[in-house]
Amino acid sequence: MPDAKPSTIKPDKILKQLEDIWTAFTHPPEDGEAGDIGNDGILRACSMTLMSFVDDEEDAVALGETLSGLMREHPGRMIVVRLREGDDFLDARVFAQCWMPFGHRRQICCEQVEIISTMDRLADVAAIVGPLAVPDLPRLMVLRSARIVRAGALRKILRLADKIIVDSSMAGAPGFGELGGLLESGHIAGDLAWTRITEIRSLLAQLLEGSTPAAITLEYAGREAGPEARYLQAWLASALPDTRVALKGDGSVGAGNPVAVRVGDDLSVTLCGGGAEVKLGALSQRASFSHSSTEELLSIELGIVVHDQVFERALNRITA
Amino acid sequence: MTQENPLQDPLRFHKKAPPCAVVIYGANGDLTKRKLMPALYRLAYEGRLAPGFAVIGVSRTPMSNDEFRSRMHDSVKSFLEASPFDEDLWASFAQGLTYIAGDVGDAESYTALASHIAEVTEARKTEGNVLFYLSTQPSQYAQIAEGLGAAGLNRGDGWRRIVIEKPFGHDLESAGVLNRRLQAVFNESEIYRIDHYLGKETVQNIMAFRFGNGIFEPLWDRTHIDHVQITAAESIGVEGRGAYYQEAGALRDMIQNHLLQVMATVAMEPPAYFDSDAVRDERAKLLRSVRIMRPDQVAANAVAGQYGPGRSGSELVPGFLSEKGVSPDSQTNTFAAVTFLIDNWRWSGVPFYIRTGKAMPKRVSEIAIQFKTAPLAMFRRATAGAEALPNVLILRIQPEEGISLKFVSKRPGSGMQLRPVSMDFNYGSSFGERSPSAYETLLLDAISGDATLYTRQDMVDASWKAVQPILDYWATQKFAFPNYDAGTWGPAAADEMLARWGHTWRKP
Ligand SMILES: NC(=O)c1ccc[n+]([C@@H]2O[C@H](COP(=O)([O-])OP(=O)(O)OC[C@H]3O[C@@H](n4cnc5c(N)ncnc54)[C@H](OP(=O)(O)O)[C@@H]3O)[C@@H](O)[C@H]2O)c1
Repeated sequence: MPDAKPSTIKPDKILKQLEDIWTAFTHPPEDGEAGDIGNDGILRACSMTLMSFVDDEEDAVALGETLSGLMREHPGRMIVVRLREGDDFLDARVFAQCWMPFGHRRQICCEQVEIISTMDRLADVAAIVGPLAVPDLPRLMVLRSARIVRAGALRKILRLADKIIVDSSMAGAPGFGELGGLLESGHIAGDLAWTRITEIRSLLAQLLEGSTPAAITLEYAGREAGPEARYLQAWLASALPDTRVALKGDGSVGAGNPVAVRVGDDLSVTLCGGGAEVKLGALSQRASFSHSSTEELLSIELGIVVHDQVFERALNRITA
Repeated sequence: MTQENPLQDPLRFHKKAPPCAVVIYGANGDLTKRKLMPALYRLAYEGRLAPGFAVIGVSRTPMSNDEFRSRMHDSVKSFLEASPFDEDLWASFAQGLTYIAGDVGDAESYTALASHIAEVTEARKTEGNVLFYLSTQPSQYAQIAEGLGAAGLNRGDGWRRIVIEKPFGHDLESAGVLNRRLQAVFNESEIYRIDHYLGKETVQNIMAFRFGNGIFEPLWDRTHIDHVQITAAESIGVEGRGAYYQEAGALRDMIQNHLLQVMATVAMEPPAYFDSDAVRDERAKLLRSVRIMRPDQVAANAVAGQYGPGRSGSELVPGFLSEKGVSPDSQTNTFAAVTFLIDNWRWSGVPFYIRTGKAMPKRVSEIAIQFKTAPLAMFRRATAGAEALPNVLILRIQPEEGISLKFVSKRPGSGMQLRPVSMDFNYGSSFGERSPSAYETLLLDAISGDATLYTRQDMVDASWKAVQPILDYWATQKFAFPNYDAGTWGPAAADEMLARWGHTWRKP
């Protein structure tokens, strides 16, 4: 990869390179590489454009794995912008990610464009990424770092996205303040910290069906409640205005994640290892939660490209 | 009117079941082991069941609760498809499993069941809701319903529902009798007739495809569609189930229920909203519009077949008559093909061909919608003399659920040469999520009181009416069986049936 030399990059050229990849797949060279592709050729699949912005130091391998995992459920054009230190650097490359679903004879392939840029070239990045988005399909953006959100040049890029997804539980990630700002500017926003509590929320909704308890206590591990505990409190408090919803920390060094929910003397839900233990009087029952990896959570968020009123109500309650 | 739960979040939460006890009659049987218990466990795994949940198994074999749990543990472990088995979760789920031995013919067994249900309701907090699932021989359905009624189990503090497996009768008359006996005990809205085909994702996807997209519905009629072919082929023979199959045959086993329901889903009018009764009204209306054949029309519009020895791949398959439990002069059809016509405004004159068979070249279920060709064959020379190539839309149910559209494109180059190409969409690969099994979907629906995918009595009646003339006519015939080799697409008469309309069967 060429370094140092400032370069110009044209979206048309990248689009042409993407086409060339597909042509090469459908007409493999004569030297027998066709065997890699499978007997029945490939299926080009696209349901969205997913743009992600990451700091260069972030683990590129982990991100690659997450993205290729996501492509199975959300095939699309992935545009990864990696920001690196230094000045005046911009480069791009294209490739295809393919996989053969188990028991199938045809590979499925998605396109990936990687753009490497220094902060000072973000304005150029915006001009490149816009035309690369697939027309008529949703455009989603994953932002991992608050530093990027604050960069002025990103405003233009943010406008390209139908939905912006963050994970406020991560260190250095955009938090409630940035999220509130996104909502205010009319964006659809998603937060994996909110996605992470979906299953406990759904369980509580089922357990509290038809009852309005006087008080609910949310216990968290740590001195300060983390985003998930705060979302849970805000959600309960806005849905049950007549219920007192208290947050209680255990004073430990924990990250403030929720550990238990107590409703009166009769009902408690204790979160433990990928699930929850429900105690309903003398009856005790285990519930397992199925979605927990970043990939699974992202996949859920990518499937929702409308304003999520329940989430927005909870977030507004926190930021008010 | 129940108040809405303010904590609900329909955008994100999956459907969850209310507290209830599921009573399985025939808990020692094959269906319970292979399908029901794995589906219930999977629902628990997905967190879809309420903490107040219980299963009560009933059949004759004496067994303790622990023995029942241990048998179910082993079955779930071996029959759970495409998902992990979690011992801790099982331990918690199994606490809710109990068993009670009883014979469906013994009145006392129902009183014993009544007190058992009362105990379970209290201990497991199931709120008095009970779903009776009859997984026994169909001849016992009415007797069980009456036994439950006599013991007062059809009513209680919570809701009561009864699920029955196909077949719903073996002809129009017996279906009516069964129904009258069931309805003497349960209201129609409490009777859930399960058709696992309707629980399949693709069948539900047909509705999404037809009514969620604007571009297909305007083409969905006799002006644009030439004919429709519905195929459900099994590559295996009856494999030891000959005795059971001998009583049913392909027409009863597949066409009367599953495939006519599929046809109804493909051809029905758009319901005003996606609600159980609105959808079922449209399906029923369509089934009532199927033209009933006169006896003298059957021979030209329905073909029976039975396989003789042949090959499935490289494997030798014995003929149906050599199967265990099959009488050597059996007249059972292992293949049936029927031309149905629908007498309504939309479909007048469009043949719907349905075929199903055992021991066919491959396992495939699909619906092929063949559109009319372009009005002017201006490219005749370009298609190497062939008539204009029609567009075909294929809705695949198995093995790979998906949708393909065949259309014509020009070969690159200077000449005007056309060739058919296929545009494919594959559910499995486009949405990586595991599809729930038909039984998971249907059990969760029954527990939640959603009957959209269940068959209503008027649909059962209408589909029996459509096949009854064929059954009657065939009963008077002596067929020269076998009339097709295992590993082929059925008897020549099935091809002739289509040839009369100028059509040919697709080779899926
Ligand atoms: N198996 C499948 O995959 C499948 C698929 C679609 C539909 N079905 C339908 O589902 C139903 C059940 O099928 P299956 O294959 O599970 O049948 P099965 O294996 O014969 O099971 C029926 C069970 O009912 C119990 N039983 C029989 N007579 C009884 C009596 N007098 N009182 C109480 N219990 C009695 C038996 O257990 P005991 O000996 O302990 O009494 C037996 O294990 C049938 O209607 C079938 O048509 C089955």
